Amino acid sequence: MKVLKYLRLGNARFVSHIDVLRQAARILRRAEIPVKYSQGFNPHALVFFSPPCSVGVGSLAEYVAIDTDMSAEEVMERYNAAVGADMRAVKSFDVAGNPNLAGRIVAADYLFPCPVGSYAAEKGLRIEFSKKGETVCEDATERIFGVSEKDGLTVLTLAAGNVTLRADRVFDAFRREGLCAGALPDTLKLAQYVRAENGVLRDVDDYLSSFPTV
Amino acid sequence: MKSFRDRLISLLPEVEKPARYTGGEWNTPEKSGNVKARFCFCFPDLYEIGMSNLGLQILYSEINAHEDYAAERCYAPKADLAEKMRSNGIPLLSLESGTPLKEFDVVGFSLQFELLYTNILYMLDLAGIPFYSRDRGEDFPLIIAGGPCAVNPEPFADFFDCVVVGEGEGVDFALLRLVEEGKSKGWSKRRVLEEAKKIGGVYVPSLHEEGETVVKAVVADFENSVYPVNPLVPNVEAVHERVTLELYRGCASGCRFCQAGYYYRPIRERSAEKCAEYAKQAVESTGYGEISMCSLSTGDYSGLKELMDRLRGFVHDKHVNLALPSLRLSSFSGEMAQESRRSSLTFAPEAGTQRLRDVINKNVTDAEIDNIGKAFEAGYSNVKLYFMLGLPTETDEDIAGIAEICRRLRGLYVATTGKRNLTVSVSCAVFIPKPCTPFQWEAQISMEEMLRKQNYLRGLLRAIKGVTFSWHGAESSVLEAALARGDRSLSAVIVRAYESGARFDSWTEQFDWNAWTRAFADCGADINRFTGAIDPDADLPWDFIDTGVSKKYLKAQRELAYLGVTTKNCREGCNGCGANKLGRCTII
Repeated sequence: MKVLKYLRLGNARFVSHIDVLRQAARILRRAEIPVKYSQGFNPHALVFFSPPCSVGVGSLAEYVAIDTDMSAEEVMERYNAAVGADMRAVKSFDVAGNPNLAGRIVAADYLFPCPVGSYAAEKGLRIEFSKKGETVCEDATERIFGVSEKDGLTVLTLAAGNVTLRADRVFDAFRREGLCAGALPDTLKLAQYVRAENGVLRDVDDYLSSFPTV
Repeated sequence: MKSFRDRLISLLPEVEKPARYTGGEWNTPEKSGNVKARFCFCFPDLYEIGMSNLGLQILYSEINAHEDYAAERCYAPKADLAEKMRSNGIPLLSLESGTPLKEFDVVGFSLQFELLYTNILYMLDLAGIPFYSRDRGEDFPLIIAGGPCAVNPEPFADFFDCVVVGEGEGVDFALLRLVEEGKSKGWSKRRVLEEAKKIGGVYVPSLHEEGETVVKAVVADFENSVYPVNPLVPNVEAVHERVTLELYRGCASGCRFCQAGYYYRPIRERSAEKCAEYAKQAVESTGYGEISMCSLSTGDYSGLKELMDRLRGFVHDKHVNLALPSLRLSSFSGEMAQESRRSSLTFAPEAGTQRLRDVINKNVTDAEIDNIGKAFEAGYSNVKLYFMLGLPTETDEDIAGIAEICRRLRGLYVATTGKRNLTVSVSCAVFIPKPCTPFQWEAQISMEEMLRKQNYLRGLLRAIKGVTFSWHGAESSVLEAALARGDRSLSAVIVRAYESGARFDSWTEQFDWNAWTRAFADCGADINRFTGAIDPDADLPWDFIDTGVSKKYLKAQRELAYLGVTTKNCREGCNGCGANKLGRCTII
């Protein structure tokens, strides 16, 4: 399995995950990457993505695993020739088997266009969103794993994967408080994490680099 | 100060499917800002509809093939974004460069369907451009229209500076170059229009004089005409996501209700070699997983077998499907069924009995309907059938014939496969008499009669297991007929309907019949005048459009229809419709 770490910037920020999946089949076909197919009545390409990113949010750390015998370097080269700069791959990994990123990723860092101090752990964070036409209010504090800063802006480590905290909902909470200096598209995912055996968060790049190769 | 585009981007997280509005699709040509002239193609429907339109991609690629000229696009935004644009003072922008429509040299609307007319106004309104050409001064771009609806441009003629009648290849580009020339020479808009009028296929409503004829533009060398081998690939799911391969233009069948079949004559086929080459290039440049072999009657294409032979290895290696839409029952073969394995097959018998099929010249026999058995042998268990209600001379017996076809197919399926799991989807449109067809003088049935016939058929189909029935709305069918055969007086009605809230009229959930009935009443226009029978000797609003097919031929076909006499397929010999005066029919 070859894994690409790719960007989601510019116009690509607005493409929904379902459309990303649709695009992937086309990208791989025009890149002429020989993807393996499942065996069965309705064969499908063996391509696996990291958990979805909210529509409108950018990312420096999306991942896609592709089952192919082609070398990771060549996969990345061909992939980059078949996508625009907004979705360019920046790293490739060669791993034995499916790293199951959708199931293993538990957290992600997001840079919010909000000044440092916008989030105070002791105050916590309440999010509001619409579900089936009704407004839902939730305490999201437990799904915020860490707070840091970058260039004077707030970076939060949010739950991702099976238990998730959507960055757009956090942004909305900040906006309601009048804390945002920018718009949702200025929010940027910086990194994603899996949970190591000792319980600490481990950057997916590091996890994939240490993954056994064929 | 933020640009309009940056301001628009900040609004996108709050609207549905924001990727509709960003541009940046794969295969978007890169153009510098230093082009001589710019054209913006406007498609008056949502992005996912417009992105599936081959015509627009052809014309877009034709202009962009020239380094010094740029074509950009704009689709109708959904109401959620339109409201935000209005409240934030953002005009309608092109996708490629985020330029307000007002700043282009030419803005061209593609009119595919009568129920999109209010969306012309919706887009002009959002762009801050006056509706009527007479209200637009020298500072506004040339606002033009083209597409199938140009066959009768009168209902919308007041909105446009020019209308391209016929095929736009070469004509749109000629208009763009003309505007550029006018700019460099300091011509007035009127001078530009005077020059535009000299271009074949260009109708200039403001300068048109009594007795003048506009001859439809026709691509003479279809084999070598522009084909977008690098089509734009949509950002969000479009209605058709596939390589659309245009095998030929025109149609040899001569169905008497079919406007496209008459309007796109003469028949011009593209060689199988060229089609295969284009298909491969387009798959490689887009990554699409399907090639759709399109034309008005795909199964009639002379090179179909050769084309499938040429593509067989390629589609297998690339995991690409071949789709064969628009098959006529008579042209369908078991081999096709095997080659284009899909979940369902679609056919259009159009009428339930042989008698009525002869009237409309749909040369499909009951024996040919049994041809579907070949698809059952190939493993198909879903069939979609398209019919029309309200065709001239139709009786309840003809409607009962639709149910009979379904029953026969069920029996055929059981006999062929021994199974009973066949599903048949019956879809019934309402007959709409369209200009430039032998039925252009016919009356449309009343709304009450539409509902009665639909209910009657629904009752009959309910009794057959595995059959589902869908039908077109009666009100929208009436409106479509009125707009199709309307005259200049309808421009005021369209404006009034838009002002009353009508837009996206082709979307059932948005169709506002009350807005239209109010508009007709406010303007003192009687809708029945446009939907009722027309005296064959009366002057028609579209008489000045010369499609090549003579009015005499249309009248003769109408008489044959009433006699129940069919006309042979043009492939069996020329029927003398007159279209070949615009170009030779070329069947390879």
